[in-house]
Amino acid sequence: MAKAQDIDVEPSEPFRLAAARVVRVRTAELFEYGDGVLDTRDIERVHDMRVASRRLRAVLEIFAPCFPPSEYKGILRDVKQLADALGERRDPDVHIDALQDFSRALSAANKPGVARLIDEQRARQTRGNEALAATLERVHERGLHERLLALAEAAEAAVA
Amino acid sequence: MKARRVKGLDPDGALADNAERIVRVRLDELCGFMPAAADPDEVVALHDMRIAAKRLRYILEVTGPCFGPYAQKATKMVKNLQDLLGEIHDCDVQIPETAAFAAQLQADDAAALRAAAGDADDLDPALLKQAPHAREHAGLAALQTHLRARRLLLFDRFLELWGDYERKGFRARLEYAVAERSGASIGAP
Repeated sequence: MAKAQDIDVEPSEPFRLAAARVVRVRTAELFEYGDGVLDTRDIERVHDMRVASRRLRAVLEIFAPCFPPSEYKGILRDVKQLADALGERRDPDVHIDALQDFSRALSAANKPGVARLIDEQRARQTRGNEALAATLERVHERGLHERLLALAEAAEAAVA
Repeated sequence: MKARRVKGLDPDGALADNAERIVRVRLDELCGFMPAAADPDEVVALHDMRIAAKRLRYILEVTGPCFGPYAQKATKMVKNLQDLLGEIHDCDVQIPETAAFAAQLQADDAAALRAAAGDADDLDPALLKQAPHAREHAGLAALQTHLRARRLLLFDRFLELWGDYERKGFRARLEYAVAERSGASIGAP
């Protein structure tokens, strides 16, 4: 599971400076997990990226007053959309995993119904993966990574 | 659930001063879901409490070091709570989904059996063996029972965990941790 990188913070440092540093670290974490995220054979990749997206969204909301509002709103919306798309892929991953575990404990007579539900969840996983691929493409086209770094830069530049 | 607005944040102020304000509001939000969330039928309150736990966890994850050792411990406590509430939420999502899926297979089978009966006066129970999903109903019924039982168990664990946090003075100790830091920053002895 994705462990958040510890970030050194100074209690007395300006909120804006902390915002810039924290957003840079959480942004790097998000995009590091992008490799192989569409590979359904390794469900931990999408899990790690999803957790990273939640952490990034959370710090954007925590440090919201430090950012230029116009840029901030669009970036937060894009991060939310990415987090939602990762969630749509992740939910069937989790469900399939749990159903497979459950099925192992069942008698032969009870297995077909659960297998049927697993098939249903696999179809959902495929749809989720297609939607995620489209969202990742959009993230790239809209330059989300670069915009996040620019947002951190703007917070830092505004230090009085 | 929309997060409660935190008043008085100052981008040019110290990180710890701002973090303290956020932690206080997020902690109050989390604790505010009790006792409503102690009712097992309050699915929405439980879900919202999970979101509130997540928000508190993330602010503590980033700014916990400003508030000393108890804040670090509280981060783990909130994560454990969030994880448990997440497991309960999964049950709350999967129980109706599984029921709807099972109901759809039953409806499909009923339609298929009706067609197979043709112009018979009544439905022959022996036709059940021919139902397209005849072998699948038992497993789905077992799964629904499992999910309901698991939800009951996890909810009991949630009540125990929250009771344990209350006995240990979770809220008061975290409030004390952020207040102590606050006193130090303004030059208090």
